[in-house]
Amino acid sequence: MNKDLEKVRNIGISAHIDSGKTTLTERILYYTQRIHAIHEVRGKDGVGATMDSMELEKERGITIQSAATYCSWKDIDINIIDTPGHVDFTVEVERALRVLDGAVLILCSVGGVQSQSITVDRQMTRYNVPRIAFINKCDRTGANPERVVGQLRDKLNLNAVMIQLPIGLESELEGMVDLVTMKAIYFDGDQGDELRYEEIPEHLKDDAEEKREELLDAVSMFSEELMEAMLEEEDIPEELIHAAIRKGTLDLELAPVMIGSAYKNKGVQPLLDAVEAYLPCPTDVENIALDLDKDEEENTVSNDSNDPLVALAFKLEDGRYGQLTYVRTYQGVLKKGETIFNTRTGKKVKVGRLVRMHANEMEEIEEAGAGDIVGLFGVDCASGDTFCDSKINWSMSSMHVPAPVISLAITPKDNKAQDNMSKALNRFGKEDPTFKTFVDHETSETIISGMGELHLEVYIERMKREYNAEVEVGAPRVAYREAITQQAEFNYTHKKQTGGSGQFGRVAGYMEPLEEEEYEFVDEIVGGVIPREYIPSCDKGFQASMEKGLLIGAPITGVRCLINDGSYHAVDSSDMAFQQAAKGAFKEGYKKAGPVIMEPIMKVAVEGPSEFQGAIMGSLNQRRGMIVGTSEEGNYTVVEADMPLSEMFGYSTTLRSLTQGKAEFTMEFSTYKQVPKSVSEELIKEYEESKKNG
Amino acid sequence: MGYEPLVKKNPLRVLNLAGNNKKMGLIMARAGVGKTALLVQIALDSILRGKRVVHISIGENLEKTKLWYDDILEIILQECSVAKPHELIDMVQRHRMIMSFKESAFNRARLEERLNDLILQDIFKPDCVVIDGFDFTTMDHKDLEDINSLMESLRLQTWFSATSHREDDRVSPSGVPAPCHELDDLFETVVLLKSDQENVQLEIIRHNSDACSGDTYHLSLDPATMMVKKDD
Ligand SMILES: Nc1nc2c(ncn2[C@@H]2O[C@H](COP(=O)(O)OP(=O)(O)O)[C@@H](O)[C@H]2O)c(=O)[nH]1
Ligand SMILES: [Mg+2]
Repeated sequence: MNKDLEKVRNIGISAHIDSGKTTLTERILYYTQRIHAIHEVRGKDGVGATMDSMELEKERGITIQSAATYCSWKDIDINIIDTPGHVDFTVEVERALRVLDGAVLILCSVGGVQSQSITVDRQMTRYNVPRIAFINKCDRTGANPERVVGQLRDKLNLNAVMIQLPIGLESELEGMVDLVTMKAIYFDGDQGDELRYEEIPEHLKDDAEEKREELLDAVSMFSEELMEAMLEEEDIPEELIHAAIRKGTLDLELAPVMIGSAYKNKGVQPLLDAVEAYLPCPTDVENIALDLDKDEEENTVSNDSNDPLVALAFKLEDGRYGQLTYVRTYQGVLKKGETIFNTRTGKKVKVGRLVRMHANEMEEIEEAGAGDIVGLFGVDCASGDTFCDSKINWSMSSMHVPAPVISLAITPKDNKAQDNMSKALNRFGKEDPTFKTFVDHETSETIISGMGELHLEVYIERMKREYNAEVEVGAPRVAYREAITQQAEFNYTHKKQTGGSGQFGRVAGYMEPLEEEEYEFVDEIVGGVIPREYIPSCDKGFQASMEKGLLIGAPITGVRCLINDGSYHAVDSSDMAFQQAAKGAFKEGYKKAGPVIMEPIMKVAVEGPSEFQGAIMGSLNQRRGMIVGTSEEGNYTVVEADMPLSEMFGYSTTLRSLTQGKAEFTMEFSTYKQVPKSVSEELIKEYEESKKNG
Repeated sequence: MGYEPLVKKNPLRVLNLAGNNKKMGLIMARAGVGKTALLVQIALDSILRGKRVVHISIGENLEKTKLWYDDILEIILQECSVAKPHELIDMVQRHRMIMSFKESAFNRARLEERLNDLILQDIFKPDCVVIDGFDFTTMDHKDLEDINSLMESLRLQTWFSATSHREDDRVSPSGVPAPCHELDDLFETVVLLKSDQENVQLEIIRHNSDACSGDTYHLSLDPATMMVKKDD
């Protein structure tokens, strides 16, 4: 099988809640002839849309899981990767962004660019994902696509250019003018299946000419040929314009804007044509793999089916037939019956069943070539793992996994819940590397940690629904850290004489703050004052000390420990003795090294009507926030602030009552910062008290 | 403070213009010469002296305005080594607040409301306000007097930028070009920027309510940063 990769599109659809992602996806699947009845998203038949398979999602009306659905449009194969819209699921979003080559950004013609679109779009920019914007719901009262285009430019910094002009708006929406072909398009039939192309209506002709000029001006910079044709005022061939739009889009210098109404069956087929015309195919995109045998040397994957296999598992799902793993192949061929190996674990696995996921059926296939997205059954792995054949040892996951910023204790309600809870936690940990679980040895409680309150809430609900595990939930706790601020020396002797053999070791040197990295150990011992075999013991002792800081018991990060002196005893020195000595040395140095408590700071954006701006800023200010700035447009305002996570608990309730529910906010982890003195004292006091009582 | 040497190439510092008075100043230039960069320099000069600045951007978004600061700070940090650059960056962030407005969303009433929000709720107490992108073409003398008295009552030093146009050759007697030619008496300082082949020329055409002769107050600036060019 040597599939023509130019005919493959791996795309994501991203949107703010309720912009119509589910509806549009449903329509796409319908027009691509895979679904033969359109179910309303919240229809009374209870069937629901095909993509949002999870109950919980439906209840919350948000899309959490990202699955891949295959469909074909004309002679193009399209894999739609469902990108989660919620910002609390950053890793899931980022992993989806990894495997898709292009995206459709859906916006509501009334709501425009909202906070979640801003966050997701920022991530797309980070991952260099070319995108088309689709302004949906043009049939709604108050539809104003021009305003949305302005927002795409102002709020998202996109070079957004309309390539269509609506024919009528709100309830009058009839169709659209294609500014490239200069034809009017209408959608006939019950489901808008029949496209009718007409002359541009008389009253829109001038407007269309003007908009076309704007379009040509904007895209001519991507094509010299087009520029020349324009100067010579020739008739401009369509292909030239298409090529220029495509070039601008792929270079992320242009975002073509289309309009329509998924609900009223208008504009979906032209959008599919645009996916083909303007979004990249797998070979248009450069993807990097790391060679694990060569110190993570970077290699560009070839997209060639004749090369050794490289495939990334980006999504796991529990199904009737066991674990379903979604993978994308980057080069080589994935064949049924062959043995592949997981480059993270080194384990070999046999490819049992290989399937392509259509909207409503699963197709058994024999193999999948480069650029393809398929499902694997019966392969045990974690999300983010890379599979290769035995010829190479590469990894696609250079993806940086941020450390969790929040944790809470969960207690199962009964024995059955206990079993189910373990199963669920095991699964979630595999799916999502930012979701972590451990047992606190001091309290024997199970602690879950992740990237935000909602992140953990969703998993708790999934536990209940999918795994029938009811748990009691403790109060959320912020993941503090400790760090040092200055260099400090240590010189510590560990000496113990108990009955038989004693313990002896002396360790001296200094510790100092380390930016960027967590920990570094430097050995500058000369003349064997500490014997070679005990150097690793010192390292171990320091590392053990880093796990629990002396201020509030939080993990310590960013320390370089250097040893340059010491002494030993021929009989009494041992691995244990030097580990103890290092621990003592660390303690001694730490106290002098200006230890501080660090807290997670979140980047928060609150948006709502301008009349509430003062109140919103006041509420953020009260919570130790640092307001970065505001932007106002019409009667609508966005306040951006850096906020300590610990101050954001319950903020949604505060905001709701402050603004009569008219404002909303998003947050994203930004960085760790030192807590102010008063907070630090408070935390230390709490910690000491809990130690006394515990 | 310890950061003052960092701004030794700041044009205001060199000209000794950044006094403590709470009067209005104006920077004029044709489009694209560097008004925003100079306003950012003015803001940084204040911040590094421990003052707080509100930066108002009309018609430019928050992200881009932030970028101006980041870029100029980066260059300053490259030129002068600072022991703890993070602390400096942090200080700039804490002493600066950006308010961006769509053109149509900005007016005097809203300005007053926003500044009062900040000051009365004790969210941020500015000493200086820089206003970029203000449309002087629709202002008459009375309107600007209103704004002047607002800023005076809030005890704020204010710097505006204004765009002059090639086609419009009207000037005030002291040499202030349109669209501000009839408003010049309201500004204590008026600075003109012009670009030549390599540099941007800064000229003070009005200072301390007196028109002053050009050559005593004249500097060559680096067009990228609006910092004073020195050959050392
Ligand atoms: N008027 C109108 N409503 C729409 C359109 N597309 C979707 N909707 C409605 O908007 C609501 C949210 O749509 P949904 O597809 O679930 O949005 P999602 O949250 O982005 O997946 C549903 O009630 C849809 O029926 C449209 O084009 N026009
Ligand atoms: Mg949905």
